[in-house]
Amino acid sequence: MKKIYFTFLLTVLTVHTYAQVDRSKMPAPGPAPEINLQDPKTFEMKNGLQVLVVENHKLPRVSIQLLIDNPPILEGDKAGVSMLTASLLGQGSKNIPKDEFNEEVDFLGARINFGSQSAFASGLSKYFSRILELLAEAAIHPNFVQEEFEKEKQKLLTGLKAQEKDVSAIAQRVSLALAYTKNHPYGEFTTQETVNNIQLTDVAKFYENYFVPANAYLVIIGDVNYDEVEKLVEKFFTPWTKAAPPSFTFSRPSEVQYTQINFVDMPNAVQSEITVENLVDLKKNDSDYLSAIIANEILGGGGEGRLFLNLREDKAYTYGSYSRVGNDKYAPARFRASASVRNAVTDSAVVEILKEMKKIREEPITARELENTKAKYTGSFVMALEDPATIARYALDIQTENLPEDFYKTYLERLNAITIEEVQSAARKYITPAKARIVVTGKGNEVLENLGQVTFVGEKVPIKYYDTHAEPTSKPNYEAGISEDITSEEVLQHYINAIGGLENLKSVSAFALSAEAQMQGMQLQLEMKKAGKDQFMQEIKVAGNSMSKQVINHDTGYMILQGQRQDMGPEELKKMREESILFPEVSMLKADTAIEGIETINGKKAYKIKLSEDKNAFYDVETGLKVQETTTTEMGGQLMTSILNYADYQEVSGILFPFLITQTVGPQSFDFVVQEIKVNEGVTEADFE
Amino acid sequence: MRNKLLFIVLSPFLSLTLVAQEVSFEEYDLSNGLHVILHQDKTAPVVTTSVMYHVGGKDRTEGRTGFAHLFEHLLFEGSKNIERGKWFEIVSSNGGQNNANTTQDRTYYYEVFPSNNLELGLWLESERMLHPVIDQKGVDTQQEVVKEEKRLSYDNRPYGQLIPVVGQHLFERHPYKDPNIGYMEDLDAATLDDVIAYNKKYYGPNNAVLVVAGDIEIDGTKKLIQDYFGPIPKGPTVVRNFPKENPITQEKHVKAYDSNIQIPASILAYRTPGFKERDAYVLDMISTYLSDGNSSKLYKKMVDDLKQAVQVGAFNIDQEDYGMYLVYALPVGNTPLDTLVVEMEEEIAKIRDSLISEKDHQKLRNKFENRFVNANSSIEGIANSLARYYLLYGDTGLINKEIEIYNAITREEIKEVANTYLKPNQRVVIEYLPEEVDPN
Repeated sequence: MKKIYFTFLLTVLTVHTYAQVDRSKMPAPGPAPEINLQDPKTFEMKNGLQVLVVENHKLPRVSIQLLIDNPPILEGDKAGVSMLTASLLGQGSKNIPKDEFNEEVDFLGARINFGSQSAFASGLSKYFSRILELLAEAAIHPNFVQEEFEKEKQKLLTGLKAQEKDVSAIAQRVSLALAYTKNHPYGEFTTQETVNNIQLTDVAKFYENYFVPANAYLVIIGDVNYDEVEKLVEKFFTPWTKAAPPSFTFSRPSEVQYTQINFVDMPNAVQSEITVENLVDLKKNDSDYLSAIIANEILGGGGEGRLFLNLREDKAYTYGSYSRVGNDKYAPARFRASASVRNAVTDSAVVEILKEMKKIREEPITARELENTKAKYTGSFVMALEDPATIARYALDIQTENLPEDFYKTYLERLNAITIEEVQSAARKYITPAKARIVVTGKGNEVLENLGQVTFVGEKVPIKYYDTHAEPTSKPNYEAGISEDITSEEVLQHYINAIGGLENLKSVSAFALSAEAQMQGMQLQLEMKKAGKDQFMQEIKVAGNSMSKQVINHDTGYMILQGQRQDMGPEELKKMREESILFPEVSMLKADTAIEGIETINGKKAYKIKLSEDKNAFYDVETGLKVQETTTTEMGGQLMTSILNYADYQEVSGILFPFLITQTVGPQSFDFVVQEIKVNEGVTEADFE
Repeated sequence: MRNKLLFIVLSPFLSLTLVAQEVSFEEYDLSNGLHVILHQDKTAPVVTTSVMYHVGGKDRTEGRTGFAHLFEHLLFEGSKNIERGKWFEIVSSNGGQNNANTTQDRTYYYEVFPSNNLELGLWLESERMLHPVIDQKGVDTQQEVVKEEKRLSYDNRPYGQLIPVVGQHLFERHPYKDPNIGYMEDLDAATLDDVIAYNKKYYGPNNAVLVVAGDIEIDGTKKLIQDYFGPIPKGPTVVRNFPKENPITQEKHVKAYDSNIQIPASILAYRTPGFKERDAYVLDMISTYLSDGNSSKLYKKMVDDLKQAVQVGAFNIDQEDYGMYLVYALPVGNTPLDTLVVEMEEEIAKIRDSLISEKDHQKLRNKFENRFVNANSSIEGIANSLARYYLLYGDTGLINKEIEIYNAITREEIKEVANTYLKPNQRVVIEYLPEEVDPN
């Protein structure tokens, strides 16, 4: 009886569960969805402005994008004028003062931003008319004033200065300049010199020449009514005078004829920036555009790409390695594969990147790679579509890139139809490791020797040298200048004598230092106390509040970072204890260290001596004074170098101390101005608790 | 779990819209009691499948705090037809994204896929509802993962104890007195038997709502839903009988300590009505008035003009049974905490004693309108709102009507509500202080 009951139940359950679907199998995806993009309604104004309107009444909001699709512009000896134009646009208009303008934008809850040949605004659709009017006002009647110009110019100059030692920024501009030449709009770059050539009148002239309606598109998306948009646009944009930008032609940059390394020496680099590039003639309306995108995605599109899996997951050379293939209707675009790698593996990383580029040309990708890449690409493509900005971009793309009307509607279908063969033929066409320019920006005396041994398909890859402004230069000579007979002991002795002599230094048992620096308008205060014998304290305060504190007291040490206290482990403690030594050079005197070389620090020659595993110091050849210390630490898998520059030596209790300490970490730099130094006073046991 | 967050709802303005801009939806029940809401929007070929269960941190027995959230982690372990550890891979290799979160009141699971993977999303959620597979190994693993999450998000985070401390002092009997994440010893104490019992008690289809939103065909979707969710057996009816709190009638002063901070905080906390009550909406407006934006009252006065505070804020922690209303400030330099209390109270008193200006009232409305519109811009957000309004507010239509409630709030009402809930004798004053840690 019991048994029958059980069987019956089971049958019912089975029927119930499997009647409609077989849930033991994961459902397969349906056919690629068609993207339900609306067709924009369009009209053209008499002045040439093309207007695209996408009505989307789902939400009562609106976005307005103005884009002027001018051909590339060569700014020449006034490079940077476009950036200044962008900064000065949107600061009110001839009719509305800046403050009033900003306040009204805020009150409406709107946003209005400008580029040098573009503008963007968004807000609630019920304020559409006013937002559009404000945008038109600022775009058509800009108020360029000297005071704002000077302010923006200073900002730009400060930014450029910060960039000079930024290895990745230099790498980027040099790789562009070499690919296109500096006489091409895509190859030129802004320098302090070119910015100083710019006057307010240049900005006004740039605006007059290029902020014109001939190639302009106004894309309006959201809860608006086409007829109303047409009326309002006609009203607000009719004053925009019809004009076309001056037009220029540029000679086509040429590919390299053989694979070569273009090396840029940056002595402060702890990582090498590698860019392997070749020019590609690829436009979005080319029939193999999507195949090229897929080939690149598999090679280096992201965390599943071959470059990433090889250089990071397998070899751990880098935090990430990626590739991109560009497209451009005016000029050749670039294919580029890149990685930031630690100095020691620079040559190996170049070899591996070239190997992957070669492999994707020569061997067909696997079916699984293709399938997963399509799925991933489809997913992110589809998700991006929810954002109205994406919809705007696509609508505009169809116009500006001369694409078929259904380009994006059939995008996924075409993506999914791509075959392994098509990907391979695109890879062969657009990825050319046999004619590649390998731009390596890094520290020559640590990477060049091995880089010289790099081969590709059995041939040695030659190296050409360039400076940070992409000008050809000769191979750096690192041996030059070291006198045979000078020893590290003499360099250290020279330094000790220069700051006060061994006897004086030995009489110091402790000192306290306080200094101040400015950071984004805030005051930073630095307190540092050292008492030899493994006692050290350093605290940084912002506006009176402690930001960070490190304390070493013999066998214990801790740090407090933004309120969070952490005890130091034995490794950290060991390193930090070295910091407590009052004058490390005294104990180094007898150590058997070699002079690492002579480098130019702030324009003067200095001896380089290794003070510890990750710390180097530089001593001025003439004065003997210590001018710089560099410390390398690892943070989150990346090597970071902190540079301390010492200047303005002043005497305290018979010893010279630097009164200006400049700290540089990455692109940031702070000038610490010493307020007070006390020797053998101002330090108590309590300081190290 | 990866990227799992214990979700504290700080603001109720997640997703709303204007009257004229209806979010259309259709809702019905399956015979097993599962409530289904469909929202069609073909703007983008994206579909969200989500399930919200009416179970949260407050649904636990004594000694099992944090159970709802631990359980949420366990429901990613696998199912009868999904191998352990494969959940995330299935989602990403099909171009999707997924996650889940738990509040004191509900637990929410969701996937976002290109619309051709609608069926996959339904399969995943139905597998989770029908026959999740949870074993001892899963329990052991997730106990550790959740404890790490607690360390990361609360114990080791500056001001991470603030909300738990407020809950502890505003409630005496209701489970809101305990933190949503739970206590370490309670997390340790959870057993596999507890897990199985919890699943039976709370995870039936009749205690949940399924939302499918995005690029869908209504009829086909209904059929798939019936196929995948129809066979799931009904669960028991969930009965809740939480103790009621007595009103606070006398000001309370407490101190709390946090070893992760150096700058103390001064907090005024008030117990307020549950989020379904109209007064809760009024309190939202008051917090915006006090501290949202550079021209708001507290910010302008304490940060900008007097430079007494590095930060001020007012916010409403929305919950089903009672809310928590907080006004807080972090002092500049040596400004005494008492001074901050005086300054904060002064602004609150003004709201109690006189009407806010008409201009400020209009500004508030503008701000709310903006917020609603932009919060409702993704399918994912709309799905969450639909689920919440049905399951917690009992009225799905609020997604279109809630703005009317805000718009109808008058200046007089703001004054009245401030007088009902924000009097000094109703508050808990918390001195939140840095804790000195013994270096050894």
